Amino acid sequence: MELRTKEMLMSMGLYSLLTMVVYFVALSQAGAGFDPRDIAAGLLWLTFIFTSMLGLNRSLVHEKDQGCLEALLLSPVDRPVIYFAKVTGNLVFLLIVEALTIPVFAFLFLQGEAIDLRTMALIPLVLVAGSIGIAGVGTLLATMSVNTSGKDFVLAMLFIPLIYPLLLGAVMATGAAIVGTPEALGVFWTGMAWVIGYDVIMLLASYGLYEFIVGA
Amino acid sequence: MGDEPQTTALEVRELTRAFGVRRALDGVSFELPPYAFLSIFGPNGAGKTTLVKVLTTLLNPTSGNAKVLGLDVVADAVEMRKRIGLISHNPLLYPDLTAEENLLFFSEMYDVPDSRGRVTELLEAVELDHRRLDLTRTFSRGMLQRLSIARALLHRPEVIFLDEPYSGLDPHAMDILDGLIAQIRGEHTFVMISHDLDKGLELCSHALILARGKVVLYEPREAIDDAAFRETYRSTVGMGVA
Amino acid sequence: MKSSITRAFIALVVGGALTLAAFLGAFFWAGVPDFGFVRTAEQTDSVRYQGPFVQEVDEARYLRNYVGYEADITADGTLTEGRITEAREDGVTLETDAGDVTIAAADFESAQVYGSTYGRPDWGQKIFYFHVPVAEISFIVFGFAAFYGIRFIMTRKREYDTKARVSMEVTLLFVMLTMATGILWTRAAWGVWWEWEPRLTTYFIMTLLVIGYFVLRNAVEDEERRALYAAAFGILAFIDAPISFFITRLIPSNHPVIERGGLEPPMLVTFIIAQIGMILLGYAIYQLRMGEVLLRDRIEHAKTLLER
Repeated sequence: MELRTKEMLMSMGLYSLLTMVVYFVALSQAGAGFDPRDIAAGLLWLTFIFTSMLGLNRSLVHEKDQGCLEALLLSPVDRPVIYFAKVTGNLVFLLIVEALTIPVFAFLFLQGEAIDLRTMALIPLVLVAGSIGIAGVGTLLATMSVNTSGKDFVLAMLFIPLIYPLLLGAVMATGAAIVGTPEALGVFWTGMAWVIGYDVIMLLASYGLYEFIVGA
Repeated sequence: MGDEPQTTALEVRELTRAFGVRRALDGVSFELPPYAFLSIFGPNGAGKTTLVKVLTTLLNPTSGNAKVLGLDVVADAVEMRKRIGLISHNPLLYPDLTAEENLLFFSEMYDVPDSRGRVTELLEAVELDHRRLDLTRTFSRGMLQRLSIARALLHRPEVIFLDEPYSGLDPHAMDILDGLIAQIRGEHTFVMISHDLDKGLELCSHALILARGKVVLYEPREAIDDAAFRETYRSTVGMGVA
Repeated sequence: MKSSITRAFIALVVGGALTLAAFLGAFFWAGVPDFGFVRTAEQTDSVRYQGPFVQEVDEARYLRNYVGYEADITADGTLTEGRITEAREDGVTLETDAGDVTIAAADFESAQVYGSTYGRPDWGQKIFYFHVPVAEISFIVFGFAAFYGIRFIMTRKREYDTKARVSMEVTLLFVMLTMATGILWTRAAWGVWWEWEPRLTTYFIMTLLVIGYFVLRNAVEDEERRALYAAAFGILAFIDAPISFFITRLIPSNHPVIERGGLEPPMLVTFIIAQIGMILLGYAIYQLRMGEVLLRDRIEHAKTLLER
């Protein structure tokens, strides 16, 4: 697993970096007349969503190829446990990539902007909560999509609409944290409430549905 | 769930797996005594793999029931999995781990006592000891299959299922497999799907022919007249895909 | 089978008739409500006179809004009547019978402004009779689809998968209708074809979800697996849609919110007729499609039997 870990991390990390660079180039054309803080949150989460889709796909396709999933299903472990194991695995990946991306992001986009470090400290909260949602729903969907023809496309088609509410909440909260004014804090907690609400509901649903989906 | 001696290793009653009109398994019933060796024959699409999948808890039946070692495949699935093993044509191994790591991982999953010792023992038995630290991704098909056998035997399952285990094996690997089976034959029950009529007959104590999800023939070995059996086999397999 | 087809046809006819009636009623019978009001006739064309109004103004600076209106201004003890011609920071100029009078802001005490109210007829509101029922029904049928999905997972009976799929097809139809009527309405009301406005966007998301359902179905070969996956996704999607809707209530939007009980009888009746008509149509479409699907299945089945 360790080797696969390194390989996956590298590819996900690079992918995320590349996305950043693309944004940077694209936005540098827009001139200096806008406040990057406004869109920072959106960009950030966009990157995470796409990177996570990449990661999910690769890890599950890999597994399917060698029939590893079957082996797991054979072992005396309850199906829901398998679900949680996978979600946790994917989550950890995602978090590591996020941790690596943020400094790069700050460097590229937030240089010289006024940022309040205290509210920035709230950002990890959103990251973790949002990533939980992404990992939870994504794992379920990817388990299905690897068994289809047109795997990544199907995953994207299913994942993006479903994750939309989470995205809204996360961007709302992250944006508020970056801006850092006292009113923004209210927005932050509203966004967080949504993210957590989404997490709870969708994870419960995914957890319930997983055992019917896997091994179908 | 006491430890009474099992009178049957396998008990299958009206096992059906259907979806709409298509029936992969249609009212399959038979019983297999312990320490027997069952060979399952039949044309493609007859439901052989489906049957094994249901018996190994990978699929659920639509109706009917099946018991392995007295445990129901649905209700006692988790308990049952501890006591069965499957060797399939997929190696069921993680390519990015070494041979040793793979086996250690699975012995963790099955709570195998003294995992290191057991892993070494099995690696030697399948003659892969010298490659224990190599990634399985680098293994040839024969070696993968051998390692897969080791994986299946880690937890000393009482019933071992084999889904066309000899396919794609080189003669040396085949010998090793033969040797292993011969070694543990006495204390284990086997269920094997095979397209090789001779091999299947040679090894088995009971034979089952499936076609279109139904049992065409089920006999203990002694009761089988070779010629008649081959005739039935040929005509069944000749029926082609269901 | 026959009876359900008959029922479907009856529903189709009745539903169609009702919808048609609603359509006619909407255009010829129900009144046209006013879309807000304006104070001067110059602001828009096709206004309808509603009545006079009198506005009390207690701060001089507000008079800026009433340039061109008749006003009685009390300042420094005296009452001046005239038409406001100018309003600045420091004072107001009135054109009176005796000539122009300037009143300083400092002296201002109170004023009364006189004018007429005109209503702007809102033709676009007609679409409301169809847009709302169609949107509601799309949700309801979506719910049915998710419900059948749950039933399928529980029982693994193929019929539930078929029911779920047909429900989704009907949902798709109604979703498209909602989008179409919605786009027409935004055009009529705000002059644009689309806005990335929260409620519209989330409905768009729902559209994507329904389309995604069919993409998924298409991409899976094995029948049972396809049914399972579709059911799971349908359930997830149905849970997701309301979440999306609620989250966007957080964001203030231009989307008209209907105040219940604000409808006059002709409008209310038309609305109810439209609603019932649409529901019947939806039911009819579902049944007819089901009939078609089942028939097709039987033909397939017969074909397979013959092949053996």
